[in-house]
Amino acid sequence: MKQLVSSAIVLKRTNFGEADRIIQVITPDQGKMSLMAKGVRKVNSKLAGSIELFSTIDVTYIPGRGSINRLITARLKKHFSNITKDFERTNSGYDFIKIINKVTEDEVDEQWFNLLENAFKYLDSFSIDINLIRIWYYLNIFELTGHTPNLNSDRDGKRYSEEGRYGFDLDAMSFYVDDNGKYMAQHIKVLKLANQFEPTKMTNIKDISNICEILYSLIRDMSRVTLDI
Amino acid sequence: MKKILLIEPDKTLSKVTSEYLVSKGMDVMIAEGAQEAVNLADQNEPDLVILEIQLKRHNGIDFIHEFRSYPEWHGIPIVIYSMIPKKEFTFDNNAWMELGVSKYLYKPKVKLNELFNELNEVFSEIKI
Repeated sequence: MKQLVSSAIVLKRTNFGEADRIIQVITPDQGKMSLMAKGVRKVNSKLAGSIELFSTIDVTYIPGRGSINRLITARLKKHFSNITKDFERTNSGYDFIKIINKVTEDEVDEQWFNLLENAFKYLDSFSIDINLIRIWYYLNIFELTGHTPNLNSDRDGKRYSEEGRYGFDLDAMSFYVDDNGKYMAQHIKVLKLANQFEPTKMTNIKDISNICEILYSLIRDMSRVTLDI
Repeated sequence: MKKILLIEPDKTLSKVTSEYLVSKGMDVMIAEGAQEAVNLADQNEPDLVILEIQLKRHNGIDFIHEFRSYPEWHGIPIVIYSMIPKKEFTFDNNAWMELGVSKYLYKPKVKLNELFNELNEVFSEIKI
């Protein structure tokens, strides 16, 4: 039988039978797939240590007759071990996986794999504000699903003013002028930057932590309305 | 072709189980939860229901009570195929029979080919 090789990130693990486990993975070249890891729950299984969450792995598998392929070998490439040392980062890691699983079908391209791998890389680094990582991640999800908020002009098509205050219209996915609004130009600028750059390039922005705290709440509202997540 | 209504909240397990049963010539409808199962049964009456008792929003026992409340579905056998072992329940065999549960199978111990055999056994009992 022909054996295939791919990089993969584990999205979900489901116990099956007495000692097996079905793992669902996302790959850069084969989309999402399910792999049957036979005997992986036995104490002496060679596969066991290599199919951890928050890791990139190399898998060798045999295509199955149905939708479940048979996992032959798994080699751990990189385990982002710092994620599980922090409760919030662990929760975010689980959320990131859940979101990708929810908004994608089985056929996904490399961008989704890269997004999740990069998200783990940033979560693994304690020097990057967690809300900044979350905002960056959600903005990428919005872009990949065609729900990017309008950050170039306000709801009425006018340029943002440095002194203005804004509210956010979730239906129009745009800011609008509101004298009592809680968003200012600095918030919109950070969203624009997070939409274009990696979080590592934004860590020196003044007051980034407080700005991201406010923006994360907005981003969650956007995701509830646009993606039902 | 026997029509099976598979009520399984875990998508991976429902996929594996349904693929196996379809490969054995059965027609499988999948529901993740109780309400979806009732709706599916309403549209296309199954010959047998396979139920994971541990559902996301409802208790599987409540589902059985609701399912049995429809007179037209009284005769449809229910096979529980669950991650929860039977011994976790205080019910005795009579109580399961009163609920119309034909078999209680513990998922980790019952392989798919064994599940298929158990289903065929239930169908053969119906014929008699």
